[in-house]
Amino acid sequence: MTERLKNVFKQVFKLDEIADNISQANCDKWDSMGHLNLIVEIEIEFDISFEPEEIAMMKDFKAVKELLKKKINL
Amino acid sequence: MKYFIFRNYTVEPFFKGLNVVFSGYENISFVDAEAGAYIWFYLSPYRTDNQIIANEITNYGNLLELVLAKINPNKPLLVFTMQVVYKINYQTAESNVEEAIINYNQKIREWTRDNRNLKIIDISDFFNRFSREQLIDWKYYYMSQMPLNPKLASDFQQWFERQLEIIKLQRKKCIVLDLDNTLWGGILGEDGIEGIKMGETYPGNTYRFFQEYCLQLHQNGIILTVCSKNNEQDVLEVWEKHPDMLLRKEHLVTYRINWNNKADNIREIAQELNIGQDSLVFIDDSPTERELVKQMLPQVSVPDFPKQPYLFPEFIKYLTDNYFSAYELTQEDAAKTQQYKENAERRQFQNQFVDFESYLQSLEIELTIEPLNDLNIARLAQMTQKTNQFNLTTKRYTEIDIRNFADKGALIYGLRVKDRFGDNGLTGLIIITTSTKKEAEIDTLLLSCRILGKNIETVFVQYILNKLKVSGVQTVKADYVKTLKNNQVAEFYSYLGFDVENISEMQKRYNINLDNINFSTPQIYKLIEK
Repeated sequence: MTERLKNVFKQVFKLDEIADNISQANCDKWDSMGHLNLIVEIEIEFDISFEPEEIAMMKDFKAVKELLKKKINL
Repeated sequence: MKYFIFRNYTVEPFFKGLNVVFSGYENISFVDAEAGAYIWFYLSPYRTDNQIIANEITNYGNLLELVLAKINPNKPLLVFTMQVVYKINYQTAESNVEEAIINYNQKIREWTRDNRNLKIIDISDFFNRFSREQLIDWKYYYMSQMPLNPKLASDFQQWFERQLEIIKLQRKKCIVLDLDNTLWGGILGEDGIEGIKMGETYPGNTYRFFQEYCLQLHQNGIILTVCSKNNEQDVLEVWEKHPDMLLRKEHLVTYRINWNNKADNIREIAQELNIGQDSLVFIDDSPTERELVKQMLPQVSVPDFPKQPYLFPEFIKYLTDNYFSAYELTQEDAAKTQQYKENAERRQFQNQFVDFESYLQSLEIELTIEPLNDLNIARLAQMTQKTNQFNLTTKRYTEIDIRNFADKGALIYGLRVKDRFGDNGLTGLIIITTSTKKEAEIDTLLLSCRILGKNIETVFVQYILNKLKVSGVQTVKADYVKTLKNNQVAEFYSYLGFDVENISEMQKRYNINLDNINFSTPQIYKLIEK
């Protein structure tokens, strides 16, 4: 799952490598439009839907991964 | 190409991958002068008060009118129509929103008349593929001001790209049709003329529907041909005698009814019509035949055939959207089938003559050379987009580009060709730019392949060179730029007596000194200058 998630990040932000600590603070491309694109692509890839409150919390890779895990295990 | 997009909501994901700059929401105060083209993409707002929706839409129309006055009329402006996606119906009889939408769409259609750079893109064609639940994801609407579901972005991109192609007049020229279980139900060789199914009842009515569609393509200038494994005599009998056969021999430009390999037959059809294999769409119910053609002729488009005959309506929509749509057709397009047919007759006629000269003489060829005008500009631009084989530089131009050439003083002439078999219409173009009074350069030279083989190309260019000489030009430069398709004209300028200036792998540059030449038009051609 982590690998699949990283691939989504790579594709959305057009990066070759995704560091485990990537975040809105340390990645230029992760701006508000980037965030929107990221959420859309994750929802498509894993066939899930996040709530707005969850989307607001997904500020770094770790948070995204945790929320995604929770969704998939439900 | 850099696009500048006027918009009233967040629509960035839909134009991902394009070189775009977005306006502010509902902001028309800034117009990016650097952009190569403009897009107007306003979506109808979601409100509870229908009068407000109607007023906003009217206001968008007014904004667009201002933009139209502001942008460079030589740059394309692509305007999306508007459609209501979400609306609450308090009163069934109330129609203020509908009226506002109708007015808006009506207005932009009217504006296209006086603004040749404005092209319409019909958003309903995209919206109608989806339900409202698919079109809107309310979460994204409230979080990011996106009235359109961002998950449709890739569908939209694909559709939008096709719309751009349609505007650029890129479409297929010819459809190759199978017969058994394609134009009628059943197999002629087994079921006989009484046994095959077409007509009023199922499944015959589905085949009739498909035949009606083919006739519509015919009217829209698509060349109809048939390629079928059958006995020719049996098929001719169906064409002549079957009362429910709508598609008849006279609608077909050519056909191959025999037991040969279909790939060979299709290759022959392309050669006979003098069109590229990538201009063909092959329709056949047999997966084996389709696979063979796909493998042997990879440039031919081979769509899947519907599994059930009652699925023809979806199939023809697919065919049109993907292969045959045109933004707007000129008279020449609509008359094209007739011209290809006349050409076939000319070829038969040719066989009666022993020497070529007397054959040409008997054709009574009439060439008309006409300068650029408002009536021929659309066709001249279209020829630069579509002509591949007899095209020396293969530069693709829009109407706007052509107009720009004229504004800069270029000489632009179209060529009309007529003979005893019919009128081929505008089929040639030359664009000549002049840097000084004594020096000219041929920017574009092309002729439609329909009229080749009669030495018209030489007469045309020699006549133009003479004209230049009379006007005081001494040197004419010209290029041959190699493409995959224009090999036949690689030596054209040498043949005319031009000298090679330099050669690279993809290009040859020529010049000719007009002082030393004296062309006269051979007697067999009647030449008229307008």
